[in-house]
Amino acid sequence: MIEHKILLVDDDRDLLEMLCSIFRRAGYTDLVTASSGPEALRVWREQQPALIVLDVMMPGMDGFEVLREIRRTSRVPVLMLTARGEAEDRIEGLEIGADDYLPKPFLPKELLLRVQAILHRAYPEPNRTVKLDAATVDLEKAEVWKNGERLPLTAKELQLFQKLYENAGRIVTTGILCETICGAFWQGYESTLSTHIRHLREKIEANPSKPVSLVTAKGLGYRLNVKGAKS
Amino acid sequence: MNPVQRFFRRYIFSTIGILMLFFVVNLLLVLSVMIAGYMSGTDNGLSVREVSGHMTEQAGTWTADDTALSLLREHNAWAMLLDEGGTVVWEQNLPDELPRSYTSAEVASFSRWYLQDYPVKVWSREDGALMVVGFAPGTLVKYYFSMEMPSLMMFLVGAIVVFVFNLLLMVFLMLRNTRRVEKAMSPILRSIQSLSQGSYQPLDERGELAEINAGLNRAGDYLMQKDNTRAEWIRGVSHDIRTPLSMVLGYASELEDNTGLPPEARQQAGMIRRQGERLKALVDDLNLTTKLEYALQPIRREAVDLVEIGRQAVSEILNSGLPEQYELEFSEEHPSHAARIEGDAVLLRRMLDNLLRNSIVHNPQGCRISVTVGAEEGRCACTVADDGIGIDAARLAALNQETDISSTQGSEHGLGLKLVRQIVKAHGGMAAFQQVQPHGLEVSITFPIHLPG
Repeated sequence: MIEHKILLVDDDRDLLEMLCSIFRRAGYTDLVTASSGPEALRVWREQQPALIVLDVMMPGMDGFEVLREIRRTSRVPVLMLTARGEAEDRIEGLEIGADDYLPKPFLPKELLLRVQAILHRAYPEPNRTVKLDAATVDLEKAEVWKNGERLPLTAKELQLFQKLYENAGRIVTTGILCETICGAFWQGYESTLSTHIRHLREKIEANPSKPVSLVTAKGLGYRLNVKGAKS
Repeated sequence: MNPVQRFFRRYIFSTIGILMLFFVVNLLLVLSVMIAGYMSGTDNGLSVREVSGHMTEQAGTWTADDTALSLLREHNAWAMLLDEGGTVVWEQNLPDELPRSYTSAEVASFSRWYLQDYPVKVWSREDGALMVVGFAPGTLVKYYFSMEMPSLMMFLVGAIVVFVFNLLLMVFLMLRNTRRVEKAMSPILRSIQSLSQGSYQPLDERGELAEINAGLNRAGDYLMQKDNTRAEWIRGVSHDIRTPLSMVLGYASELEDNTGLPPEARQQAGMIRRQGERLKALVDDLNLTTKLEYALQPIRREAVDLVEIGRQAVSEILNSGLPEQYELEFSEEHPSHAARIEGDAVLLRRMLDNLLRNSIVHNPQGCRISVTVGAEEGRCACTVADDGIGIDAARLAALNQETDISSTQGSEHGLGLKLVRQIVKAHGGMAAFQQVQPHGLEVSITFPIHLPG
């Protein structure tokens, strides 16, 4: 069901095997592996994977060097794994251009969630539609179909919806949502956010005053409930 | 002001104090000597005026009464009385070699100096006569002092200037000396101080105190090496644990989610996964506490919103699936009031994570946890409270003590809460642990809006 090719890189063969097992179980069938920096670069050039899961600490050529080399020519999404779990690693990785960062030890669930989120962002599905309780949202055309009626979404509403959809089933905090629509200096925009949420509810909910798809998490933020596969 | 500066400041003040005392004591001594000298002088001195008061004239003849004569005898003195013309009109024991008549020039001379080696005192009477009393040579010193006004002023001013100059010179030399000692001692004292706080800068091994500096350097090196070895060891071990633990967590989760296995096996796999997660938290805490303890990682100072950090910490736990026996809620004390402080977002998040995890792990029967964040009067407050089993009074006291709580290490509350305390301290805040009625634990934390230092 998931056709993205994923390159897994780690010098520890046991861990590599486990990563394969985790991804296979989650439905990713097209997996390639490498157990050193140079090998990772070779496989990346030959196979052109859709996403790379890259270990930082490897003998010889470490993950940062591999990422630097890749970033000279490619924007392929990269998730870094590190055994150091230190803030400097995280910052260095993100500065070089990693899309996300996960410290070891991690839970398979965490890894899969992050990989899904990166893939969502990097490869938006064509004709993507999201089925909700009372409406269907077409992300491509930025419109909502409710009771056979077509309702267009504004740019901000679409941004908001996309952020919530990437984290469907999970609470997204007020701060993160404000940042999505207002940028890094979002302080004081909470009321703007609630206005956008109200408009969005009017378009996607059967009864906007009793929302079932876009629900409030009291004091925290909002959560989008999607029908079907996503949970 | 640091203790070293304080010490030298006090040293200078005490030296100035000693100097003052020295001057006051000397002044008192000089005064008392002068008074003593003056007193001894008047005791056996002879007043010409008194002798003169006992002289009477009757029809051109002068006589002295018994008092005058006995006074003269007592002092072994002679006396004469000169009329306005300078002729002796009365005499008593007047040495033979002295003339019996004087010119005004001679009178002027002996009244100031000596009369042929005899020291004399004179008194001019109201009736124009001059009373002269003489003493044996060598019993009385007479000097004549005359000086022009400007010169006198100069001498007086000069004396004061010399005195003040001396005083200043003394103070200057003393300060210079102190400064030298301070310069030599300060680095040593500072090093000892920083050594007590767990850091060390090597000293210059030159100068008069080279040997002491070298000794201190050796001690510092030794301590630092020991510290570094420990920190490195912890770092190394925690690194080596991460990969195997990833595998434990990974496969345990896989087994737990494998619907093809019997429920019992899946439960056991779940147990392995949960214990693995505790190990993971322990490794993270151990790493971070080591870093904070040895100041390996400076804390970042950026404007962070404690409310948003609280929201994210709570959301994360809810998103990862909190078992239903727990209830977790978040509230703002003053809604729509930003609780911005200067600090390290990652550490503050870790602090909240640890507090929440503490409440969850220690109340397996379930509990209600509430997180409250608010800002007021230049301070930011954050409270995490649960209605669980709470902790006993002894442990509560240990947690509230400002001293190191490493003694509680090995207990379940140890490391996670120690880390909370370290993070709070690094942000200049205060943490208070207290019992909730009827049961439960409440942790109240307050931060200054601006990071000190």
